Amino acid sequence: MTHKSKLLDRRQFLATSVSAATLLASPAILQAKKSDTIKIGMPTILSGVVSILGESSRAGAQLMIDEFNKNGGLNGRPLELITRDSRAKPEEAVKAVRDLVNGEGCKIIIDAEASSGSFAVQEAIRELGVLCLHTVSEATPLSADPKLRVPTAFRSARQGIHDAIGGGAYAAAISREKGLKRWATCSPDYAYGRTTTAEFMEFAKHFNGDIEVIGQVWPKLFQPDFTEVVTKLLQLKPDAMYSALWGGDLVSFVDQSNLYALFGQMEAFAVNLGDYPVLTAVENLPDGIRSGSRYNKKIPDTPENSDFYDRYVEKNKVLPTNWSWENATAMSFIIEALKDVGSADNPLKLAESIKGRKIKSPFGVDGTLTMRSEDNTLVGYAVGYGITTKKEPFMKDFQTTAWDQIFELETKWKKRKGYL
Amino acid sequence: MKITQQEGKRKSLNEALITIAALLILLALPSLTGSQKIMDFVIFAAAYGVLATALNLLIGYTGLISFGHAMFFASGAYSFGALMQSETTSVPIAIVLTLIITATIAAVIGAICVRLSEIYFAFLTLAFQMFFHSVLLSWVEVTGGDNGLLGGIPTPVFFGINLAQAGTKYAFCVSLAILSIYLLRRIVTSHFGYTLRMIRDNERRAIFLGVNVFLTKLICFTLSAVFASIGGIILALFISGAYPDFAFWTTSGEAIFMVMLGGVNNFLGPLVGAILLTGLNDLVVHYTNHFGLFLGSIILLFALVLKKGILDFLDPVLENLLNKKIKTPNDTSEVENSDA
Repeated sequence: MTHKSKLLDRRQFLATSVSAATLLASPAILQAKKSDTIKIGMPTILSGVVSILGESSRAGAQLMIDEFNKNGGLNGRPLELITRDSRAKPEEAVKAVRDLVNGEGCKIIIDAEASSGSFAVQEAIRELGVLCLHTVSEATPLSADPKLRVPTAFRSARQGIHDAIGGGAYAAAISREKGLKRWATCSPDYAYGRTTTAEFMEFAKHFNGDIEVIGQVWPKLFQPDFTEVVTKLLQLKPDAMYSALWGGDLVSFVDQSNLYALFGQMEAFAVNLGDYPVLTAVENLPDGIRSGSRYNKKIPDTPENSDFYDRYVEKNKVLPTNWSWENATAMSFIIEALKDVGSADNPLKLAESIKGRKIKSPFGVDGTLTMRSEDNTLVGYAVGYGITTKKEPFMKDFQTTAWDQIFELETKWKKRKGYL
Repeated sequence: MKITQQEGKRKSLNEALITIAALLILLALPSLTGSQKIMDFVIFAAAYGVLATALNLLIGYTGLISFGHAMFFASGAYSFGALMQSETTSVPIAIVLTLIITATIAAVIGAICVRLSEIYFAFLTLAFQMFFHSVLLSWVEVTGGDNGLLGGIPTPVFFGINLAQAGTKYAFCVSLAILSIYLLRRIVTSHFGYTLRMIRDNERRAIFLGVNVFLTKLICFTLSAVFASIGGIILALFISGAYPDFAFWTTSGEAIFMVMLGGVNNFLGPLVGAILLTGLNDLVVHYTNHFGLFLGSIILLFALVLKKGILDFLDPVLENLLNKKIKTPNDTSEVENSDA
């Protein structure tokens, strides 16, 4: 019996060495390849009853990223979106942001959190110093309160006060026209519902001193049964009703109100009704409810906006939401800043580039959007009210609020609040 | 088994040395790994670890299952955050005041709750917690309502310690957690700790032996709350804020699960449970959004297969391996020697 030599011959030695070297070097090679990508982190809500918020936020941002990458990225460097589910918990949102920055190496954060999460993320950004765009929170203080401001953080979402001024002006005009003096409100019982309602009614009264609030009902967030709310509203017999309910709550409220023919007995203003997921989920959408601007392919009615709608639907097979355009807008600002600065390595330079920047956008009332430099917040988007219809595009007679009017009243409001 | 006083002192010294070693290892961790991510994980796990270990003082050692301990966790975070935001106190004073505030709240609530036991105690603590949660939501001027304490938590330099620096904050939070766990260990190995076990095992006998059961339970409830609030302080420092979620029943549920996961009959069980659950959370959210599905599966696994926490399961195994008795809350052999 012959024994094979245990020593390697030259060929075997070389082959083994090359294999081993390749194997050992592969993490570094992969790392090098990976390091070419510019990572953008997104903490958001991807599970639970409001997971649509995270899904449409991600879809909106991803659409812009894919198109940018398709066109060669930033000098050949692609963008990569990394999402983390915060489960709507502020502490998880902060942990996600820190993990995205410290663990994944993200230099840019798109914060697609609801308000409480956004305030928490803002504090993490203050410490981490990376670029951040808040894309969902409409709570006005996030950008209006100078104490909360962070130099590298911006908001590319609606702002409550802008909607309140637009809605208040619209409500006042309709009230005058139709003699609607006695108002009731029906909004979710948490900070967003209460502040939005207070701001709306404040500006409605500002424009029309005859308006009087005769009663307010505050259903719990995500409560399944609105019977007591509807009957209370019917008992109050107001001329008009305002609601800041949103998402599934608004769908349930409208469906259950239909059983009592509530909308035939009072003029209804529902700021969040005009969003596709809500409009399409309501079983029998009544004609004539007045809704604020969310996302609609006809608002503004431009080829660019219709084009965004078509691209979004083609890619995602679902209709866009208000969160979709807000996140797509954030990515547009980030892409412009990256092109301007040339890399993602310096958050302060990126922030300087975004501050005060005006971009072309399908969501701007005049085809542009501006990141206002005084308070790092988005202006120039479509604000106003329209009337619901049963069929696409679900909204008609949309009346846009002039931004000059919003700016003037917003400034006065900020002074009253001590923000200026 | 009677343990001599000398052996008792030796054990106490060993525990102190182990605590110092654990602290030194954790403090060296950032230099060894160079990873901010690991530092973040340790702080987060430390906050929940202290909460779970404090809760086990009630569950494992006294037989009182509290469904409302998140209220004290939140009390720590909110009190500390609000005191620091008022810019009238330094960090150490704010911590002391926070502990006093929590102790006061706990003494009042405890005086009502500890009169009951079993499910009645559990539900009463849950009721108080939901009341506390409602107060946090409603008292917007002080608590910020749904948005939590806005504007971050300022931490001015004290004794040359600047908590605005990530490394310093890590060292401070870890030291606070280790100190809390060491003190909790001293409590459970003291006469008081063994009295708690006696009450858990046979309350009537404890009464016959002259123990003031109400007062002992109340002190235990208050101490447990105070340590839970230290967990809240650590989390508030980490995320620079305090949020109503901290006081929601789901946080209490998570803490109970940490205790059950790690082992109710082992002092370090809840800490292990907290590390496992937070680590699992990090791992799962990295790859999927179905956190609940994974967590549910793990609960099922423990409920149906192990039927006990990890350290409870490993205790006999280790005991056989080491041929050495491992101390558990059920073990009353040291009662004669307790010197704390």
